[in-house]
Amino acid sequence: MNALRIPAALTSLEDVAHFCQSLAERAGLSTDAAYRLRLATDELATNVVMHGYRGGEGELRLAGGMDEDTVWIRLEDDAPPFDPGAGCRPPQPDVPLAQRGIGGLGIHLALTSLDDFSHRYTDGHNSCTLVIRRHRPRRRPE
Amino acid sequence: MALSVTVTTSTDTATINLIGELDAASAPAFHDTIEQAAAAGVTHVVIQAHELTYMASAGLRSLVFARQKMGDEVRITVAGPSAPVARTIRQAGFDRSVTLVDE
Repeated sequence: MNALRIPAALTSLEDVAHFCQSLAERAGLSTDAAYRLRLATDELATNVVMHGYRGGEGELRLAGGMDEDTVWIRLEDDAPPFDPGAGCRPPQPDVPLAQRGIGGLGIHLALTSLDDFSHRYTDGHNSCTLVIRRHRPRRRPE
Repeated sequence: MALSVTVTTSTDTATINLIGELDAASAPAFHDTIEQAAAAGVTHVVIQAHELTYMASAGLRSLVFARQKMGDEVRITVAGPSAPVARTIRQAGFDRSVTLVDE
């Protein structure tokens, strides 16, 4: 298992990217799966920085690991309770781009990039678990 | 990895060249070039994305900003995005408002 504690700031996003890339490499993830893991972690971390702590000071804690089937990252913060999975609205492709609301896009991208996601809030901490499958499910023979 | 953004403007076209990674930290630089393109009053904006290796939702927000800033009569093209960047644009349904030229 691997862990990282960083200040909740946009300048930390590069560390988040390196953390994801190194974990993906160790797990032997495909380029596509590695990209999705990084995108999801980046978006959720960005959301904590911009909205969770509302631009104020705070800390982000990342832990990562893998088992036979999955690679996971746990993202923790001490911001007010927020479940990214609750009330996430899909984009509105029929609304012209100039009239779109732009909230929630990052969370939508994050959640659709992952194979599994969960959130819990305990003892003053948000804890999100992001999961990517290491291998695409194989097709059963006909 | 940082983002390198350059913009060149001809009479009717602004070409924005993006190299590297576009995330929430680097998006403001992209925003600035969109302001420049809008101020130049061009009718076509070409975003060269061949060497854009990563794009987060901050990049999508920049595209929304470009559309809002320039209006519907200006054509916005994203040229040569990698498969995951193109997927992100499509996932958000933005391929209806900007022209995607995959290669």
